[in-house]
Amino acid sequence: MRIQKKITGFMVLLLFFFSFVGSLVPSAHASDAKKTYVIGTDTTFAPFEFQDVNGDFVGIDMDLIKAIAADQGFEIKIQSLGFNAAVQALQSGNVDGVIAGMSITDERKKVFDFSDPYFEAGPMMGVAAQNTTIKSYEDLRGQRVAVKAGTEGATFAESIRTKYGFSIVTFDDSSQLVDEVKAGGSVALFEDYPVLAYGITQGNGIKTVTPKEKGGSYGFAVNKGQNPELLKMFNDGLAKLKSNGQYDEIVAKYLGSADAASGGNIDSEAGAAKDSRLALIWQSMPAFLKGLGNTLWYTVVSLFFAFILGLIFGSMKVSHNKVLRAIATVFVDLFRGIPLLILAFFIYFAIPQALGFKIDPWLASILTLSLNAGAYVTEIIRGGIQSIDKGQMEAARSLGVPYGTAMRKIILPQAIKVMVPSFINQMVITLKDTSILSIIGLVELAQSGKLVIARTYQTFDVYLTIAIMYLIVITILTKIADRLERRVSRG
Amino acid sequence: MDKVKVSGLKKSYGSNEVLKGIDMEVQEGEVVCVIGPSGSGKSTFLRCLNLLEEISAGKVIVDDHDLSDKNADINKIRENIGMVFQHFNLFPHMSVLKNITFAPVELKKQTPAEAEKQAIALLERVGLADKANAYPASLSGGQKQRVAIARALAMNPDIMLFDEPTSALDPEMVGEVLGVMQDLAREGMTMIIVTHEMGFAREVGSRVIFMDGGYIVEEGTPEEVFGNPKNERTISFLEKVL
Repeated sequence: MRIQKKITGFMVLLLFFFSFVGSLVPSAHASDAKKTYVIGTDTTFAPFEFQDVNGDFVGIDMDLIKAIAADQGFEIKIQSLGFNAAVQALQSGNVDGVIAGMSITDERKKVFDFSDPYFEAGPMMGVAAQNTTIKSYEDLRGQRVAVKAGTEGATFAESIRTKYGFSIVTFDDSSQLVDEVKAGGSVALFEDYPVLAYGITQGNGIKTVTPKEKGGSYGFAVNKGQNPELLKMFNDGLAKLKSNGQYDEIVAKYLGSADAASGGNIDSEAGAAKDSRLALIWQSMPAFLKGLGNTLWYTVVSLFFAFILGLIFGSMKVSHNKVLRAIATVFVDLFRGIPLLILAFFIYFAIPQALGFKIDPWLASILTLSLNAGAYVTEIIRGGIQSIDKGQMEAARSLGVPYGTAMRKIILPQAIKVMVPSFINQMVITLKDTSILSIIGLVELAQSGKLVIARTYQTFDVYLTIAIMYLIVITILTKIADRLERRVSRG
Repeated sequence: MDKVKVSGLKKSYGSNEVLKGIDMEVQEGEVVCVIGPSGSGKSTFLRCLNLLEEISAGKVIVDDHDLSDKNADINKIRENIGMVFQHFNLFPHMSVLKNITFAPVELKKQTPAEAEKQAIALLERVGLADKANAYPASLSGGQKQRVAIARALAMNPDIMLFDEPTSALDPEMVGEVLGVMQDLAREGMTMIIVTHEMGFAREVGSRVIFMDGGYIVEEGTPEEVFGNPKNERTISFLEKVL
């Protein structure tokens, strides 16, 4: 105890020392070096921020903040956190500013200071390019329109729904809206203008027939009362870019023409150099392969932990102790009974919010998959053990061999042969289940496909490629597993 | 000296009482054959002697160890009590040799080399020296049971329990197993055998116990029990099987 106290005391002292020295160092540098600001942003919100084919973050926000930083002479470090995480990081001071297509609202103004608006958003209606019947909101009567949950487009559509007498269907993803309209499920979509405009420049088969509605505008945010110099530099830089034409260039780069910024005509050929379908897939292949690598990695790691959980709870399930059996039964019932999607939401969103801590998507994903697969592996192991004749355990025990040793050396080696086919089955299921984790932003194969679709709107080609990749990998793995199984059952 | 001393032994499964009070002793070197109709509790009784069945009431003392004592080191006691099962229960994932050496090596009774040497000697004794590297699946029933006997003997037990060792065998293989058991008896092994082989019980047994309905109904030398049974139930049972 005494030694421990001494060590703790020493550590505290050390900490003080370093924080003191640390506080001196930057101030010595600040005068002669450019100050670096950490800027938080969203992961995908085309055309404001998204990954290009090389995996670099590009978009109007990104180009704008870089140009302003260059103009005003400060350094930036971009952190792509996701919208909600970026906002939280700003509040907690982990980042100095956020630029993420963030609407300036009265509510947000209470906690943040906003720059001058740098983009006029607002909702706009889109219809299929070959559609000739919908020319105004009047034509929507009795029809169905698609919106994306939580957007200004959704709010606007809701506000005019009764007036024009149409019904609304809600989706989670911009590309789903486009596919819904192209497939004819809905006649029109309401989407935030820049997102819609960007999609059109990518040739997503949508056109606009009505003007943009008045809506919110986007601003750069800092924490209330903090970093005023950063805010000022942003405003000064923005004004300068607007006057020297650089702002228009940036907007035109993503939305086709300069007056697109104010809702003018959108050039659907702007994404111009239209790549062939094959070339698009080929370009996206590095992203897909990286996603596939993650899928395999998460499968392997999760199955590893699932196996450990299964061994622990499986042994508890076959034990003679009632309490242990009950605990294992609760574990299995709980994690087998909760759908994977709900479990992921619970671990990633609900528990951290209730208990006030943060959890990374990768950790939440591994926890979710391990617990879910762990419940199934427990049952596989229990079934395997119980399929072995009772006489085996009795024979070993009658020789004086303790229970644990008999379990490890006599029962499990035989039970594993019985379990192998079920394990292979579980492996395939878990591999496919990783795709569900894309919902909490895990960039595995399915999510890497979604990201490419968010940029290119090539739904069919991308999902076809992704599906084929899953098929190939699972077929290869099953073949290997088959061979392994044959070897195990022979030996 | 009493090798086994049982007094007031009772065993129930829930409300079903299978053993209703057993008292008996076994002397060193005795070969006790337990006979009786199926359901009489004879197998349960045998399995109580090495605690494969928990004892509900009464006392079982084997080799001066009280099995009914909750703190008894049952693994240590079992090392001294060999058991042979009706269905052999050989370990199918191990060779014949490994089946025999497993327990002595695992329980650090012998080094692997010593254990192998002894296993070969035991296999010679049961006439299966050439099967050392075979796997149980390739053996006949009689061969399997002889390996099982060798496996039990590898722990050098003082007492051997046999639970209907020939009941699962084809008739032509019964002889080879009984032969090995007879040799064991001749060497002075203390044995308790639950069996349906009346001829064997009569010839090899030093004592015969007839069980019925959870009790020992009659016991005595083979001559007494087979030649001059006194109890009604013994008489009617023997009439059916002889």
